[in-house]
Amino acid sequence: MKPNQATLATLCCVLMGVSAAHAEDANSSRLWTDVKGRQLEASFVMLAGETITLQTKDGIPHNIPLASLSAADQQIAKTLKPAEGMPSVSGAAASTPSGKIDVLVAQGIMRANAGLAKDKKPAIKQNPLATDEQFVRRIYLDVTGRIPNYDETLAFLNNKSQNKRSELIDKLLASDGYTSHMYNYFADMLRIKDQVDNRLLKGLPYIKWLKDSIAENKGWDKMTYELMTANGKLWNNGAAGYLLRDAGMPLDNLSNTLSVFLGTDVACSQCHDHPFADWTQVQFYEMASFFGATTTKLNGKDFGGKDPSKKLLAEIDHLMEEQGVDQKAIKQKNRTISDLLKANEVVVHDVGENRMKLPHDYKYKDHNPNDPVAPKFITWAKADEKAPAYKQDLGSPEALRTSFAKWMTDKSNPRFAMTMANRLWARAMGVGVISTLTNIDDPTKSANPELLQHLANEMVRLNFNMKEFQRVIFNSQSYQREATTYEVAMGEPYFFQGPMLRRMSAEQAWDSYMTLVLGDQVDKIKNTQADVYGRSIDMDLENSTVQTLASKLTAMQNLGNIAKKQLGKGGLAAAGKKMQEDDEEEMEGGTVLQYGNMKLMRASELEQPSPAGHFLRDFGQSDRLITDGSAKDGSVPQVLVMMNGQAQKMMTEKDSLMFRNMAKAKSPADKIESIYLSIVNRRPTLREKGVLTKEVAAHGENAYANIIWALINTREFTFIQ
Amino acid sequence: MSNPFLKLDAASRRQFMLNTAKSALGVSVLSHFDALQAASEPAAKSGKAKAVIALYMGGGMTHIDTWDPKNGETKGFKDPLKTNANGIQLGGYMTKMAKQADKISIIRSMTSKNGAHGPGSYLMHTGYDERGTIIHPTLGSWAQHHLGRSHKTLPSSVTIGTGNTNAGFFPPSLAPIPISNPDGGLQNAKSTVDDSTFRTRLSLMGELDGGFREKFNVAPVKAYSEFYDETMKLLTSTDLEAFDLSKESADTQKLYGNGFGRSCMLARRLVQNGVRYVEVRMGGWDMHNDVDASMSKNGAAMDAGFAALLEDLQKTGLLATTMVVMFSEFGRTPRINENKGRDHFPKVFSTVFAGGGVKGGFVYGSSDADGKEPTDKPVTPQDFIATVGAGLGLPIEKVVFSPSGRPFTVGDKGKAVSEIFA
Repeated sequence: MKPNQATLATLCCVLMGVSAAHAEDANSSRLWTDVKGRQLEASFVMLAGETITLQTKDGIPHNIPLASLSAADQQIAKTLKPAEGMPSVSGAAASTPSGKIDVLVAQGIMRANAGLAKDKKPAIKQNPLATDEQFVRRIYLDVTGRIPNYDETLAFLNNKSQNKRSELIDKLLASDGYTSHMYNYFADMLRIKDQVDNRLLKGLPYIKWLKDSIAENKGWDKMTYELMTANGKLWNNGAAGYLLRDAGMPLDNLSNTLSVFLGTDVACSQCHDHPFADWTQVQFYEMASFFGATTTKLNGKDFGGKDPSKKLLAEIDHLMEEQGVDQKAIKQKNRTISDLLKANEVVVHDVGENRMKLPHDYKYKDHNPNDPVAPKFITWAKADEKAPAYKQDLGSPEALRTSFAKWMTDKSNPRFAMTMANRLWARAMGVGVISTLTNIDDPTKSANPELLQHLANEMVRLNFNMKEFQRVIFNSQSYQREATTYEVAMGEPYFFQGPMLRRMSAEQAWDSYMTLVLGDQVDKIKNTQADVYGRSIDMDLENSTVQTLASKLTAMQNLGNIAKKQLGKGGLAAAGKKMQEDDEEEMEGGTVLQYGNMKLMRASELEQPSPAGHFLRDFGQSDRLITDGSAKDGSVPQVLVMMNGQAQKMMTEKDSLMFRNMAKAKSPADKIESIYLSIVNRRPTLREKGVLTKEVAAHGENAYANIIWALINTREFTFIQ
Repeated sequence: MSNPFLKLDAASRRQFMLNTAKSALGVSVLSHFDALQAASEPAAKSGKAKAVIALYMGGGMTHIDTWDPKNGETKGFKDPLKTNANGIQLGGYMTKMAKQADKISIIRSMTSKNGAHGPGSYLMHTGYDERGTIIHPTLGSWAQHHLGRSHKTLPSSVTIGTGNTNAGFFPPSLAPIPISNPDGGLQNAKSTVDDSTFRTRLSLMGELDGGFREKFNVAPVKAYSEFYDETMKLLTSTDLEAFDLSKESADTQKLYGNGFGRSCMLARRLVQNGVRYVEVRMGGWDMHNDVDASMSKNGAAMDAGFAALLEDLQKTGLLATTMVVMFSEFGRTPRINENKGRDHFPKVFSTVFAGGGVKGGFVYGSSDADGKEPTDKPVTPQDFIATVGAGLGLPIEKVVFSPSGRPFTVGDKGKAVSEIFA
């Protein structure tokens, strides 16, 4: 459905059947005349470029081309002030991409208010624009995944530039923090783990591929295409990690693919016809059939009937026995060796035959169990099939995945652009236009269907450039409003009067702690093991000798040493300071400091996911078992970590960066301000200053640790307003 | 395409959140009447347990050397033992449990299709196969969902031992609280500063946060404040002593011994204080090599801990309302392999029940003479979960929708083995 046409059609009806009887609100309501002489009673809402918005008595806003009005009315329109509560966009601003979003949001609210008025419920008002203090904290968290440090906060607050908000957005979108934060989002969405399949097969190359793709701002269509069609060993093509993530479980993998990339939840139909929606089990298998020729392991056929691993193993056994190595040692060594060999047999590729079949327990009458299934694209509406996306040559079995990827990432795919557009909107605003991100179902049934369609169109217009898309959102007034202070009831639609109040993700909380300890260094420390890992493990099985194998084993054992070498010796006092000239040569990726057993680096550079019991996990980091598995709820263990854990202790240590920053301030009041700017990124209020000056008087120097502890334990710290 | 499912989804989501809020937010929201009402609609026949201690034997517990001894060529290294229960024999390593056999019901016809550790353990903990699209809750979380909290300050479920805990598709507040070391107590329960400083900090936090909480008087913020209150209540109440094993008498300490026994002692202590579901994890059961040596060490430790627990529960009068369950991901091969060990064997294995209305000296189902096949009344992992659920009085047939709108029940429609209940 094209909303604009529908709106015009309604308006024509309204224009023809109008009577001039209802002039209750003389202030804003007037009689408008169009070029054909038809009349409409309506109040002026706004003028955005060449489009005028008029609100009829029923409260519904209508967008019509300004040119369709009489010349006189066109002149009048240009002199009127926009209706109260409308985005304060001038004609020019409203035609910018961000302004267009604001217009659609405002109109969504008007439509909602028309309904609310009918039910005699209070109208929704747009939130006021966020203050600079609110904005600087939010935009750093939303773009770079961490709070701004003391200097960054002050720099923005003291900046006198008119365009300082959009300048900061540009700066942050271009920073390393953007990559780290986007990576965390995708890692949660795609269930990224360090450990793939066997013990020695690591997710590192996949993780590196993902970070590199984000850093170079690869289009979402291109990224997706690469994930779907990747071939080869993981370390030769990191994108192969997507199919390897669910090696041996292609049906689960497809289920996730459909929900993550196409917002279509068909998990039920994996095992039976969907009980409520229209999806059938056969449809699910028809989609799975696109991956029916894909395999993740090499077998005898690929080696011309030979088994090079077995041959190597036999040689080694023989060699070890000859040298009199004892049985147990052989066994132990053998496990590592066989893992190494198996890891090299893991290769995503297609075979010449589509082996997809219906399950052995298929129970419906239309097909028999174990029937072969031919590939077929699903549709969401009858008209879908006419879209260019569906014109794919299904060709040979080897080409099936490519056809699928082309169909999926085509600009005319009915769900692909919309799904990511809705996700990125939800990421910025705290809730999606459709709140179930993995199940869009019926786009016309959302809180604001016009906005959803527009966001999808924007994604297409911007060629799936996610950075540009987010730049548009972040520059909108809708995003830059204060967070909503009241509760939206469960199941009630949300109309985006401002972003929702959100709790920080586990990664945002951890990375903010890291910012407080590491200052400027926080974005510079990187996990750089992917390349050396790939070089260490890679073997050409058919052309390897026992000697090659031995050197690979040594290389793999060395990996741990390389990671250890990156760990710095200095304590907290070393954080935020440049490496001394006479120190050891600087490691690639920087030196990693430690506190207790915590490695002080951003969540994106740590283990994926962090082990149970880590701050990140207690805070709700996903265990990466299911899509978007992270949580933002509290729990007793989490509160205990905040109150008594290592992280809070580190923050209150006298040699920490915050104390060193504070040392520059002279008076207690200035010190308090320094703590506030560092932790909650605003200046303390007079009342707060009063409370805290008393605290300093009562406890002297010890008071500052108390204040820091108290502030990082506030809800204000943990929530993003 | 219009999908009527979405509407249902919204409704069930609301119900889901409502139930969850009750069980998550605890005292302020939970009404005791709700809990009673939920408990009064149990499955057909069930136990009388108010609490469960689930002893999980990680790695795959050999059934022949423990609960289902054989005399033929698969016997292993020890002869079966006579017990204090008429006609019941136990594996040769179960010397102490042989004297407690009058308290237990054994299911000897457990059968599963999964012979890998991870997926097998997942199945025996949840009643569902491991999937890439959802995480299923374990019984402690199910119980809290259906019955609400079991105590005003203590957690409703606790897991003792290493490994992950989560609440499945329920919110994290329903996840078991992990205790990695029974002697270490609750992680991060000790403040890093002295008492008066801690109080100063807390009161500062409240004062500095007042404005924010007033402005954002919304559920997620309020829920957080409740977690702080709840945690403080726990930290400042004597209930925290529930985690402190040093409060146990010298005699009790001696009864339980070291290692696994201490975990059992903590489990008893927690249940006594009001925790509903305690899982104790014991590793070391993956006995591919030298099953005799492993059983002499690991098996004996399990035997001692389990027996001490039953003895103590009876002494303290808790046995009538506390159900003890022993389970594992699968059994082990009847045939002894070339390394004198036994390998993975899901086809038939055993689980054990005691207390909380469970019959004593009772055996349900059987395996064949060699312990290779279930011969009688096979019991699936789903049935097992349903049985524990029924023992606790959970409405096991009640369908609960995950936030993604998929329907689930305690034990995936498994049939509770009601014969074990007296």
